[in-house]
Amino acid sequence: MLEEGSKVSTREKLRTYLLHRWVHRRWFYTHWDLFIQQPLGRLGLIMIFIFGLMALSHPILMKTLWHPTIFDPFVGFDTAIMPHPTTPSWRHLLGTDNFGRDVLSQLLISTQTSFSVGIIAAIIAVTISTLLGGMAGYFGGVIDAIIMGISDVFVLLPAPILLLIFGLLLRLEWPMVAIAYGIVTGLGGQTIVVKSHTLKIKVKPFIEAARAAGGGGGHIIRKHILPGLLSLTIVHAVFTVVGAVLTESLLSYFGRTRYYLSWGTMIWIGQQTFRWFTLEGQWHVILPPALAIMLFCSAFYLVGRALDEVFNPQLRVR
Amino acid sequence: MFKFIIRRVVRAFVALILFQSLLFTLIHALPYDVTAFTLAGPSWREFMQRQLGLDLPLWTQYFRWLGKFLQFDLGVSFQNWPASVSQILFSRISRTLLLFFSAAILAYLLGIWLGKVIAWRRGGWVEFGVTLGGVATYTSFAPWLGLVMINIFGWYLGWLPYQRLVNPNVWFNAPVMIDSLLARMVVTCVIACGAFLVVRRASQSIKTNHWRWTSQAGGIVIIGFGIGAWWSRSGLSYLALDVLAHLTLPLATVVLLSFGETMMIMRAAMLETKHEDYVLTARAKGLPDQVIRDRHVARNAILPVITRLALNLPFILVGSLVIERVFMWQAMGEIIFNAIEYQDIPVILGILSMVGILALIAHILLDILYTYLDPRVRYIGVE
Repeated sequence: MLEEGSKVSTREKLRTYLLHRWVHRRWFYTHWDLFIQQPLGRLGLIMIFIFGLMALSHPILMKTLWHPTIFDPFVGFDTAIMPHPTTPSWRHLLGTDNFGRDVLSQLLISTQTSFSVGIIAAIIAVTISTLLGGMAGYFGGVIDAIIMGISDVFVLLPAPILLLIFGLLLRLEWPMVAIAYGIVTGLGGQTIVVKSHTLKIKVKPFIEAARAAGGGGGHIIRKHILPGLLSLTIVHAVFTVVGAVLTESLLSYFGRTRYYLSWGTMIWIGQQTFRWFTLEGQWHVILPPALAIMLFCSAFYLVGRALDEVFNPQLRVR
Repeated sequence: MFKFIIRRVVRAFVALILFQSLLFTLIHALPYDVTAFTLAGPSWREFMQRQLGLDLPLWTQYFRWLGKFLQFDLGVSFQNWPASVSQILFSRISRTLLLFFSAAILAYLLGIWLGKVIAWRRGGWVEFGVTLGGVATYTSFAPWLGLVMINIFGWYLGWLPYQRLVNPNVWFNAPVMIDSLLARMVVTCVIACGAFLVVRRASQSIKTNHWRWTSQAGGIVIIGFGIGAWWSRSGLSYLALDVLAHLTLPLATVVLLSFGETMMIMRAAMLETKHEDYVLTARAKGLPDQVIRDRHVARNAILPVITRLALNLPFILVGSLVIERVFMWQAMGEIIFNAIEYQDIPVILGILSMVGILALIAHILLDILYTYLDPRVRYIGVE
């Protein structure tokens, strides 16, 4: 008896679980369809995918195809070639810089840095802005006043200039850049936007219905407010990636970071002997990282824009 | 309205004080002591600490600093010693403001116009091209874009000068200082914009399309002629043209860097308002497409855009500082990067406070503009 009863209840649980799974998967697939219908969003996603492959391919290439003493991004040197900034050839697909290092190898390892910076900054910024903005919007009163006071201050602070000044006294590592950028952007504009969005959700009738049905504060926040903020959160995350990568490039371009490789550092190195489009100059050192910054950020921006259109039905083509 | 402005200004003042406290905390949290580098022995170091007020307790230092800040006294620069920071900043700020404000206004106008166009023609090659171009310039690396512009327009085509604020050969024995000429040019710009707005406002009352366009064009020609006559009579027009020629490339670069964001925001806002009922009514009335776009959709879409613009103003400022550096434009950008290079803490703090104050002023102005444009906010704001 007991076994049978428990069996039924398990099956019942399973059914409920599968139903929920199905609903969630349907949610995912409808949104995915809407996303994939947009050519620019598709383009951005493909570009992000290619950059991901680039980041992953570096260790594999170092293990298999590339000789570590020649192709190492930091200390590699090709003794077979004599005058050292060389233009692209079959041996070095993007040429070498004036320290004799392979440009493609540097580009690939910088892709890893950029990805990490962008993703860490996005996670931190979005967590802070969703928590604080949601709290300010939902609870109001003193909490709202305190959080909005903090945001009012941080919105005045451009993260690139602040980090340039920090880099003056502390040599920055890339995780520090990512964390500082995430905190400043998250506390600044994003919190204000999330708060106003929460206020919009809070006055909707379904919140009142949930409260009438006996839902507590935690339940309402988890089941109704946070899903409502999800779309905004994803869009913010994508745009934070763009800002963080651009800021990190700017910092390393002005030599405010520790000696790790990133696209900004590569441009700075290439600028040492800067003569454009003349074959003895170093256009092949500057152009790939600059284009990489542009394409990487454009890819994330286009994906963010497409997601914006997915989550905001009024923007769609009708 | 008045009550609202007072309240906004008080809030801004509190934010400013908090901002200054944050700066103080950050700078004192950094492991840095100016006097540690002196080679003249411990007694001299003590003397320096006393002179700079570093031997006092932190709270006293904080209140002294805040009090000095409220009197616009930002301390003394380490690098060029007897000069005070506010002197250094005020000698250069007009140049940065010229670049920053003109770039911001042009970027907003361009972005709003392009956003309007691409929101109206969805799914065509125009939308793809403009979107891709705007996103590409917005996300491109600022110093690199500056270098590309220098290479194309300054080096290969040789159309425009790409170095320094002015050409010293032209300015040899010039009768005025650069900054006073810049001030005069800014005043001219403001007068021209005001006159244009007056002409536009006056011509709105003319009902016939044909006559309205004619009167507007006539007004613009008269304004242009008047300004040309004024400048040529003053005998400074060759200097002004020199400044303008040197301004063009940095200005174009900053506009290219920053118009994309505005364009995308405007586009989204346009698409949100496009399906309102009054647009349908306008269509049913048989109004021309252009009139619906400009008078009915864009006018209502522009309200949320204005609040978003305030958030990306600091980024336009950062962009213009970096571009100043790239073009060797002797303005605030030069000061900030020199100060960073020589570890000149008071100048850096002064620049950060200046940036904060500028952003704050811009926020207040945009808020007031918003309340002026949207009466609903005005009444809610007073409650």
